[in-house]
Amino acid sequence: MSKWVLKLGTGPLPDRNLIGGKAWSIARMADLDLPVPPSFVITTRACAAYQAKGDFPAGLEDEIAEGITWLEAKTGRTFGRGPSPLLVSVRSGAPISMPGMMDTILNMGICGATEAALAAETGDAAFARDTHRRFYDLYTHIVLKSDIDGFDPAGSPEDWDAALAAGGDMIPADPVARLHASVRAVFESWNSRRARRYRQHHAIPDDLGTAVTVQAMVFGNLSDISGTGVMFSRNPVTGDRKPYGEYLARAQGEDVVSGRFTPRPLEAMRETVPLANDALLIAAERLEKADGDVQDIEFTVQNGQLYLLQSRSAKRAPAAAVRFAVDMVSEGMIDETTALDRVTPDQLRSLLAPRLAPGEADRAECLASGEAACPGIGIGTVVTDTDEAERLAASGVDVILARATTSPEDLHGMIVAKAVITEHGGSTSHAAVVSRALGVPCITGCGEGAVTRLNGRTVTVDGSAGRIYAGALRAESPNEETDGHLAALRAMAETHAAVRVLPAGSDAGVPVVDLNTIAGGEDPANLPTLLAGAQAATGGALATDAGMAAAIAAGVRTVLGSPVLPLLLSAARAGKPVADRETIAVSAST
Amino acid sequence: MKDMQLALHGLAIKKHADAAAVAEITGLAPAAVQAALDEATASGRTVKAGDKYMLQPAAQIALKTGYSRDFAAQRADAAMQATYDDFEKINEQLKQLITDWQTMTVGGQKLPNDHTDPNYDDKIIDRLGRLHDRAEGILDRFTAGLSRLAVYKRLLATALERAEDGQTEWVSDARCMSYHTVWFELHEDLIRILNRTRIE
Repeated sequence: MSKWVLKLGTGPLPDRNLIGGKAWSIARMADLDLPVPPSFVITTRACAAYQAKGDFPAGLEDEIAEGITWLEAKTGRTFGRGPSPLLVSVRSGAPISMPGMMDTILNMGICGATEAALAAETGDAAFARDTHRRFYDLYTHIVLKSDIDGFDPAGSPEDWDAALAAGGDMIPADPVARLHASVRAVFESWNSRRARRYRQHHAIPDDLGTAVTVQAMVFGNLSDISGTGVMFSRNPVTGDRKPYGEYLARAQGEDVVSGRFTPRPLEAMRETVPLANDALLIAAERLEKADGDVQDIEFTVQNGQLYLLQSRSAKRAPAAAVRFAVDMVSEGMIDETTALDRVTPDQLRSLLAPRLAPGEADRAECLASGEAACPGIGIGTVVTDTDEAERLAASGVDVILARATTSPEDLHGMIVAKAVITEHGGSTSHAAVVSRALGVPCITGCGEGAVTRLNGRTVTVDGSAGRIYAGALRAESPNEETDGHLAALRAMAETHAAVRVLPAGSDAGVPVVDLNTIAGGEDPANLPTLLAGAQAATGGALATDAGMAAAIAAGVRTVLGSPVLPLLLSAARAGKPVADRETIAVSAST
Repeated sequence: MKDMQLALHGLAIKKHADAAAVAEITGLAPAAVQAALDEATASGRTVKAGDKYMLQPAAQIALKTGYSRDFAAQRADAAMQATYDDFEKINEQLKQLITDWQTMTVGGQKLPNDHTDPNYDDKIIDRLGRLHDRAEGILDRFTAGLSRLAVYKRLLATALERAEDGQTEWVSDARCMSYHTVWFELHEDLIRILNRTRIE
């Protein structure tokens, strides 16, 4: 009977506290009868024993060895030797995610002999060497905690060892010793300064411990019927109820990320690995149903066999967020409260933000273009001096700040600008970073002289397209009443909101408190005082969830603002669901 | 540097700030900054609007001219200059990290990160923590050459801890002393001290 190690997928789903979040999600996929690479986990109990003793507890090394033997049997590969070498990943995994824990080590098991074997097996010596180098990089940074800058990709392992030796470091030759050292490094990271501080701040017990997951690595580059990809169970951009993704035949995961190869649409999988494609579609549906949310799945096909590496709730564009929520309610997968929780007021604001009217861009003269650094439309007069921008904005002029580059000295001008345009720098430049933080449309890198020469002109900046047009173009917001999915979401929000929300300027029938005109009205903390006794309100902190909740608690029953939907959603999220609208009418009138 | 010079230097970095904000990054006492900047305002080197001061153009030039004297020791310090080169490397990583924090790729499209995926955010804050661990070594080396730079280490740690505790505006919000704001002011300070130019 194992004391410290659990083989995943071999019994009932283990307790999350025992095996940590990462192993638990692997075990859960196995439990749903989905194909995952074989894995074992060194439990949090072993971590606690390590912390108590300051060393591996008795029997742990034997159980790790037994786990590796099991992985060898499951995969038909061998750890630390050829002809088919077994490589594993080593990950930390606490039951609660926290900062300061050890990062993942990949390619554990690679060494001189296995690099040669992997080169022969894949027919790709460069891949085998690169696999070896990436292991050196990760091990050096994560386990040795050396500051070394990275190993020369053109060098040999002997060169890398020499570089390490120069700094007084070394990687043990024995793959098993490396594995043990990595497990120790995970256990040690439990007591890293940041992890300790976080636990203290969040009252997480110090003896909870972290688990270590050791998982066989699978290869998408072994043959023409191997490959790697990502898939979404529905389209994360449009929200279409149709799987969406990318596949790259004969490639490893990092090839997709590196951008060295252009992946093909998921449908291309059918040409070479139709059975794996079928299995993937089934897996996506099963995971979506089990989680009640759209999934983002990373997978690899090794010699025709599908393996799921990871599945999690998918990130989504605002339009998709609305559509997923509405569709999944009508499919009976989630209830309305959950649906309203899956869309944020900010997503709705971004969805309802003005965009150029159809055809406007085609008719207009494009003055300059660059990197689309922050989306949105900004219309105004180009100003190249930051202080002047601030002055003009204060006098009510809409300004577009145009600079060769920006620095912290330009911040006050960026805050008041309708858009920021620069000549140099890309998506990570100061202008891009600060504009995104401010939510100001921004285009960077338009070229020498391209934007400062526009000084004094009226322009329209389309931060989504990265184009600057002459003149003030017509911008319009999507209609929140005629779009079917928005209307459905609105109907849902109305039944769950404790206030009614009317478009700005409507006649509320009662006096309306305008928070924009009251000092402190932008801070939710002031609302209980400012709104005491008020029946209707508009502006200020009502745009935030906290402000809306405070207004509802203060007894406000009508809120005015446009667009309506984000406010309505805040109200629905803030309040307890109100089943009976008449109760409100009664309590409001008494 | 004398208090007056340092207060003006801090104001030049902040551009438009009250005495407390200048005190925060220079390590001077708020009262000392207040006194210095009020004196500078009286002599026309700065202007005051509300609580906030701004450096006048002539004073800006005088300040920069004085740097070759004020920071002669640091500029001549080979260790300081070498540390700055290391800072530039980590600066590139920080800029990429902040960009990853602000944007997310959804189905091949780059969109603003709407912070609805705590998993994604946690990973980046974790990366920030690892970057911070490396940055601390660099800051210690700077501090060896100019002790007042130690304040940045504390400000960065505070921002990181707040971000780790879930106050995510402390990663890159331009309107508070977020990690990125502090980092950028540190960068500006270093550029002025060591007479370097910013690489975009």
